[in-house]
Amino acid sequence: MLRRFRLEEPESVKEASEVLGRFGESAKIYAGGTELLLTMKEGLVHYEHLVNIKKVGLNQIKRDNGVIKIGALCTHHQLESSPELQKSLPAFVQMEHNVANVRVRQAGTIGGNLCFAEPHADPGTLLIALGAKLVAAKGSSQREITAEDFFVDAYETSLEPDELLTDIQVPEANRGVAYLKFGYLERPSVGVAVALGAGDGKQYIGDIKIAVGCAGPAPKRMADAEALLRGKSREEATRNLPKAGEIAGRAAQALSDLHGSQEYKEHIVGVLLKRAFHSALSQC
Amino acid sequence: MQFQKDIEILAPREKVWKFIWDVDQFISCMPGCKEAKTVEEGKRYTATMVEKVGPFKVEFPTTIEILEKEELTHIKAQASGADNKIGSRMKIELDVSLKGEGDKTTLSFVAGVDILGKLAALGHGIIKRKADQVLDEFTQAVKQRLEGDA
Repeated sequence: MLRRFRLEEPESVKEASEVLGRFGESAKIYAGGTELLLTMKEGLVHYEHLVNIKKVGLNQIKRDNGVIKIGALCTHHQLESSPELQKSLPAFVQMEHNVANVRVRQAGTIGGNLCFAEPHADPGTLLIALGAKLVAAKGSSQREITAEDFFVDAYETSLEPDELLTDIQVPEANRGVAYLKFGYLERPSVGVAVALGAGDGKQYIGDIKIAVGCAGPAPKRMADAEALLRGKSREEATRNLPKAGEIAGRAAQALSDLHGSQEYKEHIVGVLLKRAFHSALSQC
Repeated sequence: MQFQKDIEILAPREKVWKFIWDVDQFISCMPGCKEAKTVEEGKRYTATMVEKVGPFKVEFPTTIEILEKEELTHIKAQASGADNKIGSRMKIELDVSLKGEGDKTTLSFVAGVDILGKLAALGHGIIKRKADQVLDEFTQAVKQRLEGDA
């Protein structure tokens, strides 16, 4: 059962940040509430103040100078059904379409998903591969955090206690993108994202970003696995894929749990990396 | 969950043994452990374990009972506690053994840890990782304290 709390209703980002600063650890941002309210009902956490930010805006999707800006309060449903995103980031739309279930997608927000940093979540992994930047606001100042620096550990991000995530900014690029996941529970056991460009008459792998999530405590970019594929011919990259999968599996810091053993998850990372690589390459 | 950790300490066994029974010093090496008290010398102690994973905080008032003790060689202990706020319980069965001669001692910890209740919803992997980190920090602190005093 939910214990008593006070609902704060700021009308701007600045005001919300001030409320967070005033109440410190006894306050928490309340957006969709799909993760927060569950843990509060279970009694795992309690906050005296919930800061409802639904009135501060932040629910727009815009294209601006080669960057797609997604407001942190966009719901997963809004993102899975956005014609703008379908045109510019179809892999992101596909990923959003497969987040949790229809009830969660209706209420849950992209910002809430990222800030709660539940290890078995999809969006963070794909955003790392897309080279996204997350914009955090505190008072009237702002800073950008790369998606790969945003996730610190399970349930921990690099946001300061009185900072709010306001926007997710994804650079537009001519690239192939794939996000694949596998699991037999509602939350995935492993998620792998690949974003790559093909260079030199499409015969070579250009820039490539690989990220793995769900297997370990937080989503991670796989720089060593990328290095085995970047700049290589299609044939050489394909030959290097098993090695890249092994390296990514080990680097994922997979944890044994109900979703699978460490060894099993490491193997699945390799399988999904191979499939995601070929899927992304086929789009170039 | 099972944990095993061996540490080599550049100190004689007698010194390590004495350090283990200096409850204030020994417990201060354990991250998140506070308010250690001796209830019955050599048999029963209490302490409070405080840990945090992201926004989730637990506070276990814990009773530690010494089940077996073999001078300079082995201790078997059991610790149990409950956090009633979040409805979770913890039970640890711990074997500590000392081996070695002269100025070197190998201190071995074998622990079986059970976490029951709502805290388990965080998942076995996350809890085990946290417990691994705590045990690593604890054993490093014990080593540093003993070797620093050499």
